[in-house]
Amino acid sequence: MNLTEEQILALAPDESSKKSGKDLANASKWVTKSFNDQALWGECQGSGSKPYQTQVDLSGIAFKCSCPSRKFPCKHGIGLLLLFSRQKNIFSEAELPAWVNEWLGKRAEKQEKQVEKKDAPVDEAAQLKRQQARVKKVNDGIQELKLWLKDIIRNGILLMPEKGNAYFEGMAKRMVDAQAPGLANMVRQLGAINFYAEGWESIFLEQLSKIYTVAESFLHIDALPDVLQQDIRTGIGFTQSHEELKSQDGITDIWLVLSKQTSEEDNITTEKFWLYGTKTRQHALVLQFIVRGQGGQLSLMPGLFIEAELVFFPSVTPLRALVKKQIAITSAISFSKYNNWLQVAEAETQYSSILPLGGERAYTVQQLKPVQIAGKWWLKDAEGSIMLLQNENKVIWNLLALSGGDALDMTVIGKEKDFEAVGIWKDETYTIL
Amino acid sequence: MEFWDDIVNTAMIGTDKKQTTPALLPQELAEATGIIQANTALDKEEMFLQTAAVALNFRQSGFVPVHNASDIEKAPSEEKKYCSNDALQCLKNILSEESVPLLQLWLEQCESKQRVVSPVLVPALLAAAVQQKKLQLLVHACCGRRGEWLGKFNTQWNFSSGDAPEQVWQTGTMEMRKNIFGEIRKANPAQALEWLQQTWKEEDANAKTAFLELMYTGISEADLPFLESLSGEKSKKVKDEAMHLQRCVPSSPIVTRYQQALAQRVHLKKEKALLGLMNKSFLLFNASPLEDDIYKSGIEKLSNSKEFTDDEYILFQLTESVPPSFWEKQWQCKPREVIDHFQKNEVAKKLVPAIVNAAVKFNDRDFAIALMQYSEVFYIDILPLLPSQQQEHYGIKFFSGHPDSILQYALQYEKEWSLELATLIFNHASKNPYQYSKSFFNIHIHLIPASVIPELEKLSPAEDYYKTMWTNTCAYITKLVQLKHQTINAFKV
Repeated sequence: MNLTEEQILALAPDESSKKSGKDLANASKWVTKSFNDQALWGECQGSGSKPYQTQVDLSGIAFKCSCPSRKFPCKHGIGLLLLFSRQKNIFSEAELPAWVNEWLGKRAEKQEKQVEKKDAPVDEAAQLKRQQARVKKVNDGIQELKLWLKDIIRNGILLMPEKGNAYFEGMAKRMVDAQAPGLANMVRQLGAINFYAEGWESIFLEQLSKIYTVAESFLHIDALPDVLQQDIRTGIGFTQSHEELKSQDGITDIWLVLSKQTSEEDNITTEKFWLYGTKTRQHALVLQFIVRGQGGQLSLMPGLFIEAELVFFPSVTPLRALVKKQIAITSAISFSKYNNWLQVAEAETQYSSILPLGGERAYTVQQLKPVQIAGKWWLKDAEGSIMLLQNENKVIWNLLALSGGDALDMTVIGKEKDFEAVGIWKDETYTIL
Repeated sequence: MEFWDDIVNTAMIGTDKKQTTPALLPQELAEATGIIQANTALDKEEMFLQTAAVALNFRQSGFVPVHNASDIEKAPSEEKKYCSNDALQCLKNILSEESVPLLQLWLEQCESKQRVVSPVLVPALLAAAVQQKKLQLLVHACCGRRGEWLGKFNTQWNFSSGDAPEQVWQTGTMEMRKNIFGEIRKANPAQALEWLQQTWKEEDANAKTAFLELMYTGISEADLPFLESLSGEKSKKVKDEAMHLQRCVPSSPIVTRYQQALAQRVHLKKEKALLGLMNKSFLLFNASPLEDDIYKSGIEKLSNSKEFTDDEYILFQLTESVPPSFWEKQWQCKPREVIDHFQKNEVAKKLVPAIVNAAVKFNDRDFAIALMQYSEVFYIDILPLLPSQQQEHYGIKFFSGHPDSILQYALQYEKEWSLELATLIFNHASKNPYQYSKSFFNIHIHLIPASVIPELEKLSPAEDYYKTMWTNTCAYITKLVQLKHQTINAFKV
């Protein structure tokens, strides 16, 4: 396992954990520190009478610590892993002690159970009745939503910037009442558009069209193919049982973690892990929702190659997935990349033609070079095609410094013609921008 | 994408006032839009929404990237070697600690070993230098060719333009000019004077004052003609600063005038005693009137202290304004004897602090040593004039009586403190953890020896409410000291 310091620090839940973790990456803080192929463990003398027992599962990068911290991973986990990456030679190779063995055993057992877990017997008649009632509620809600959409279109969207958040929030709440949380979110996104930015009109209309497409499609859902029905149901906000998904066979591959995006709203942190199957050439988006104070199950770092079994949510263009089983972290392997922007555009076209509602995807494109045209930064491929760099303010200086004007293999996330650069490949090493 | 623009325009105005233009829609959408138009169940709003949905998907499915021949010039190859991974890791940690003194130390080490930073950290360093202007020249040196190249794209980073010092002096920002002037003044005072004279007429009053303030370093007789020529300056600030500088030159006319006045007022009388077997000497004072130009130069006529009469106060001011060596020449005796003469007389005794001030002002190390050895009172102000070993020795000796003052002087040391002095300082700091906080030790980290770290654990304030603060400060100091030593070691290899 060769994790870079940046990758380890990317696991920390916040800046203070990063800082404290760095402080604890110091041999003098650890009473004991050992490792073997499976795990890494150590005892850290904290403020309590007994040292804290910290352990890291190396096969799947998971943490456990006896400290009382609510953060996950805690500073001790980060510190121990950092110290291991810096000075592996000061760790003694040893047999697993009972406390580590017990934890690893429980983890394996839990993973098995999760796979085997079956839902308790359900009352199918009652369930069908509930589903029918919900469909009716959603249909009623959609009728109201369509009236609202048509009002907007009739009067023109020119007045939208003056409407204020309450205008959109009111309809979003109505959609929540109609048990269509997916539509509610889409309506909220309408209100969240930056009306001061140039081109908001086009973005607004795109979002409006998507809402209409999902809503109208649901009204005619029976006429759609089965898998596409799932996409529309997901758009409305129907959830899929994770247990049920995990009971299905997944796709085992060596997945490269391309990026981790984190956002926080209402005490819930959403982590988006963008993965790429190096053998199957399939993209995957794994979401993790963490309620403040609780730990997440997944600890994936950009640039990491993991061998894992993923189960995709049913869709005509499968993207969102669950990690059914994480087998091991493997060393970097070569993988196929997109040759140029045209190939990316062709892939996008393919996805859009199957599902007009598709969102962003991650691509690794060969030999992109930053170029400045009329004060804006673009990414130019080997054929001379250019794509505007959307997150210029955030990444351009690191990108330029690393490139020095040379072309680099680059990972971008986006759709159609809007892409953000998230990482670069240089000398077989992935660097997060 | 005329068709999409037309759809957006329709949406902007509203379907009540405008409809989409079918002729603008792509031929490929004719079938789909035909079906929509033929559906009589749809009202015009819904027709528009369906047309827009179809057009949007057509648009996003048919994006073709544009070609452009633009390119950027490649960054030139580095001439110097990159610093080691250990050094880079240290730099990352220093940047995350936001310790400017450690950053300066790191950059100095990097520059002295003729190394440059790997590209990955160049933007972070350049960004740090935007805030820390005094580090800009060092950062420029350590960011190498890649830094200069990046500076072409980011105007804020233009300080890494690689200009020669004289070019920087002539065309740089005020902060860069001050930096370069200060450095040249230290290395070659005459050169700095020449530069300043060349541009003097173009400088404004604030710039003139700022550059004059930097001339205390290396001040000498050679600066006098220039300083005297400033008496006709319009700005009072500039004139005052120039006069102040002149007062620091022993051979300046004003200091010579003070010496003449003192020679008239203070006399050493020598007599034979014990039937001619012994020599007796004592000081005599006379209150001859002073000429007006002396008062105009800043000597106050009236005493502001009960301890001094007006005449004594004038003497005090004159004494602190002439080099102590004046008395040596005047009376043909050694510093020790000068001090003895002053200490024997009740009135003259009051002037010893003025001699101390003069020794400090004129940087008279011989007098400083003599004062430390033979004065009846310990004058802390002369500590910095002593040789470093003596500074340590007296600092430790008198620390308990003047902890804060000696600590202040110890901050001016160029080398690390000895373990003994550092232990005394930290013992004092541990009792005042709010006064001597993390930021205080961060600024002075270059003085803290690693050997004191084990001692820190033994120190603890008596008051419980201070303990947590002190423990945190200790942990922070330990971290910074470790980083300092990692930095030094990283560049040793």
